[in-house]
Amino acid sequence: MRINRGQIVGIVGESGAGKSTIGKVALGLLDENAVIESGHIKLDDSVLTQYTEQDFAPIRGKRIGYIYQNPMTALNPVLTIGEQLIETIQAHTDKRGQVARNFAIELLKKVEIFDAETRLSKYPHQLSGGLCQRIVFAIAICSKPDLIIADEPTTALDVTIQKAVLDTFKQLAQKENIAVILITHDMGVVAEMCDYVYVLRHGLLVEHGPTQHILMNPKETYSRELMAAIPRVDKKIDRFLVPGIIQNSEGRDRALTFLNRKVDGQNWEQTAPLLSVQKLSKTFISPATLVSSKKSFKAVDSVSFDVFKGETLGIVGESGSGKSTIGRMILGLYNPDYQTDIDSNVIYRGVKISDLKTRAERHGICQSMQCIFQDPYSSLNPRMSAGENIIFAIKAHGVVSGALAWELAGDLMELVGLSRSAVEKMPHAFSGGERQRIGIARALSFRPDFLFCDEPTSALDVTVQAELLNLMKDLQDALGLTLLFVSHDLAVVRQMCDRVLVMKSGEVIESGSTDKVLVSPDNAYTKELLKSMPRFTFDTV
Amino acid sequence: MNRLEINLWAAFRGHPVATIGLVGVTFFILLAIFGPLIAPQNPYDQTRLDILDGLLPPMSKLGDGTFSLMGTDALGRDILSAVIYGLRISLFVAFMAVFFGTVIGVTLGLIAALRRGWIETIIMRAVDLKISFPGVLLALMLLAVFGSGVDKIIYALIIGTWASKARLVRAVALSEMKKEYMDFARIAGLSQFHIMMRFLLPNSIAPVLVVLPMSISGAIGAEATLSFLGVGVPITEPSLGLLIANGNDYLLSGKWWISIFPGLVLVAMVLCINVVADRFRDYTNPFLQGKA
Amino acid sequence: MLSFTLRRLGQSSVLVLIMSVLVFFCMYIVTDPVAVLASDDFTEEDRIALASELGVDRPILVQYFQFTSNILHGDFGTSFVYNKPVLPLILERLPATLEVAILALTIGLCAGVPMGIYSGLNRRKKITKAISFITTIGYSIPNFWQALLLIIVFAVWLKILPASGRGDTTFLFGIGWSFFNLDGLRHMLLPAVNLAIYKICMQTRLARSGTQEVMFQDYITFARAKGLPRQRIIRRHLLRNILIPIVTITGLELGGLIAFSTVTETVFSWPGIGKLLIDSIHHADRPVVVAYLILITLMFVIINFIVDMAYAVLDPRIRHT
Repeated sequence: MRINRGQIVGIVGESGAGKSTIGKVALGLLDENAVIESGHIKLDDSVLTQYTEQDFAPIRGKRIGYIYQNPMTALNPVLTIGEQLIETIQAHTDKRGQVARNFAIELLKKVEIFDAETRLSKYPHQLSGGLCQRIVFAIAICSKPDLIIADEPTTALDVTIQKAVLDTFKQLAQKENIAVILITHDMGVVAEMCDYVYVLRHGLLVEHGPTQHILMNPKETYSRELMAAIPRVDKKIDRFLVPGIIQNSEGRDRALTFLNRKVDGQNWEQTAPLLSVQKLSKTFISPATLVSSKKSFKAVDSVSFDVFKGETLGIVGESGSGKSTIGRMILGLYNPDYQTDIDSNVIYRGVKISDLKTRAERHGICQSMQCIFQDPYSSLNPRMSAGENIIFAIKAHGVVSGALAWELAGDLMELVGLSRSAVEKMPHAFSGGERQRIGIARALSFRPDFLFCDEPTSALDVTVQAELLNLMKDLQDALGLTLLFVSHDLAVVRQMCDRVLVMKSGEVIESGSTDKVLVSPDNAYTKELLKSMPRFTFDTV
Repeated sequence: MNRLEINLWAAFRGHPVATIGLVGVTFFILLAIFGPLIAPQNPYDQTRLDILDGLLPPMSKLGDGTFSLMGTDALGRDILSAVIYGLRISLFVAFMAVFFGTVIGVTLGLIAALRRGWIETIIMRAVDLKISFPGVLLALMLLAVFGSGVDKIIYALIIGTWASKARLVRAVALSEMKKEYMDFARIAGLSQFHIMMRFLLPNSIAPVLVVLPMSISGAIGAEATLSFLGVGVPITEPSLGLLIANGNDYLLSGKWWISIFPGLVLVAMVLCINVVADRFRDYTNPFLQGKA
Repeated sequence: MLSFTLRRLGQSSVLVLIMSVLVFFCMYIVTDPVAVLASDDFTEEDRIALASELGVDRPILVQYFQFTSNILHGDFGTSFVYNKPVLPLILERLPATLEVAILALTIGLCAGVPMGIYSGLNRRKKITKAISFITTIGYSIPNFWQALLLIIVFAVWLKILPASGRGDTTFLFGIGWSFFNLDGLRHMLLPAVNLAIYKICMQTRLARSGTQEVMFQDYITFARAKGLPRQRIIRRHLLRNILIPIVTITGLELGGLIAFSTVTETVFSWPGIGKLLIDSIHHADRPVVVAYLILITLMFVIINFIVDMAYAVLDPRIRHT
């Protein structure tokens, strides 16, 4: 790779590509057991790969700045941000005392933190993620470095904040003529920020070139797959153009037969909505203490919507908008605020499930309502094998038993594209995407009509996400499923959903078909959300 | 830590000290189990003792022709036999105390995690109360009040260990309950019993198992201390601690073997268990494996 | 911060109350001072007279209230054995225990923490492994056996330090301390070292594991990336973070010191409150045992309270919730 002064270069790849490693090698930050087998890194004429710990002293922070992914962990929680900023200033310049402090305030203003004086004495946990990341920028530029290595600088931030932070970053870098290596998995960020891009996969350089070339006309197979897997917000396509994972097999057919064979009375043929949510609210109350009064936080404020059989309704919003809370109330994990509004209801299949009291009653009606979870690393019981995870619950309810249950587990695994023999493996032997598929198989074991999908692909790589979304669409077609799909990613929602609700601070501020809302929205907030998304410019389809 | 199946081979290979410890622990446990078959005499069988054999130094010959490896005490009891029988008592008390203390502590910790509200408050306040008091002192008080005896010291030590297990399990259980697979268990309409036994318990127990060896060595030490002070096991069933106390008076007059041999065995045993415990803990610590 | 403090104070008071109730009722149920004090030729009338004199014939609740009100006036009763008021009895022995405990704690911290930090930073050096092994041995040897060994080595074989008793004391503020004269120091050394060995081992292990955990954190890597000199990283970033668990656990371990002082004082015949407790237990001197328990509880509660406050001062995250 070559980087010139003033250039912003992107290193892009999925997890395991080795992009963070390159960033760390340049500064000698790898663990003791990392060995450089061959090659070198040169900063101007200094060969960094041969440096010892002492040699790095004039480089780190001075000529090369480093920006960490998670600003909350990059800053020491027991020291004020002022201390952490000023100590860096004192390490690299000869400013001391009040001079150093004034310089710190100047730096904070440069990264667009106003009210800098008071912020200096705050601790990291008292500030937001976006603010902390700006402080990390300030620390990185305090000695006017030649190069900044930014490792996923905005991944931990909300979309609207992300855009603001990236804008500041780009302006500053251009103004001060600092070269930037931007390491990210998000092609949208690369499209907006970088002039040149390197695509990495499993530690190898796959392709490189000016950003437009890589985005529009990638040459290598992997780059093509990568670009094809990126969901677009402007147009809905039927399936992502990535290699399929499903093979037809007996097991798969058996599973489909089993799943399509509904229990008596389960078919919802009526025109009334399958799920109707009316004026649902949730307030979280933190109890009064000796010196402070009761604090209440309204997470969801009188939300109403209907979901009809066979459709996919999306709920989109940033963190704290209440989108996950709604789902948890529908599923019964949280209790809605009923007392405040007697019209507040959750009606599933014509039954007011809010009125159901016992576990048995609830399970009888709601077993056809299942959930797909967000975090592949905590959604499966780590002490049970994949197969046990899938069928444990239905076995416990006596729906199937013994050998039949294991066969069903194998069939379901094949249905979601995993091999039957993996049914006895433990969850830690599977990748993130594979674990999500086991989660889908588990949800399917109940022969559901309705699936609540809580950001099922947020934690996955882009190509894995595309595979999984294709799978979900296939299953929806084959089984007539109704989906309530929650995500913060507008593009994913565009691809998966027919209708969408946009949420902010617990309220639905806009709703309608995805074609309308996500292309030409009425509401100002929706417009801002769309604008904040890093975009490609697609000249051709 | 997600793996309950600790690969013993991998854990101890390359750590000679810990391996020796493991061998030592196995040796002591076997010695305790098969003790009566190995010991040259039963030191508590009054009919076999001869006071003329009293206070003989190690490697002496006894009146009835047998060989005393470690010498005899004032009543003519062979120290080696006394040590073996004392070892049995020491280990028995420690294992019983830690086993029941752990069962009680884990159960209460899980209940406190599952049933939030006033039950949890009561249990955790009791835990706080107990933890703020050093275990040995508490046991001392209890034994002072209720008298000594093998069963009483086991009860006292159970009261000494349950609280730390409860607190540990509750903390782990609370963090496990936030995980999504627990959400699934609730959505899927599983009973509280199923949730606790198949979902919560197996995933919360690992840290407790890691601290168990340390607990056992602590219990052995605590019992020895209490017996030494005279409030532990009765004279009829002396543990190593009591043997050391008995021999204390003879130390300064040069008859060191009555106190030193039991002491060496006690130290060796505790040391072996601690070395193994350390190795366990380091092996399961994700930080030290290079993964954070 | 204020709410945090008040909450802790409230909980502490409840704790003391509960302990006093438990202690009183336990002792009441189990021991009978009449049986202990009465000699064999006492007649039934004599026993009744004795019971009335001691106040043990009244209903239990009355006795408890009498007990509590007495305590609040500072009257912990009279020792059966010494026939003197209990509180002064305990207080006059307190300095002896405290000075050994404080010396042991100081030695433990000053030796243990630096060794622990060094081991944590230099994981692979041979000396770290040696320290690690020695500390494991150190806390595997039971306290009382260490004491015996110390006596054998230093008093019997080498004959340089006395085996028992407290030496001369110098009076400061009306209390006798052993610190300030040579003979006192000589007598104090072995008991203090005995308590200190366990402390050193614990502190080393604690500081080592704390250091290892902190060094893996992102903010340390970031501090390196920022280009801060190593010394600054260790002093400022590392130390502030490991201070939290060290302070917390040291505070709690203070209880262990007091607990083990019973053993140490017994072996070395050191006239502190620990020895008083053991003797009183063996002689069934109920008022002394009860008073000891209550005072110890009070002391632990105060220590825990101070530790909680220190924790809040050191960790700003606690302060702001």
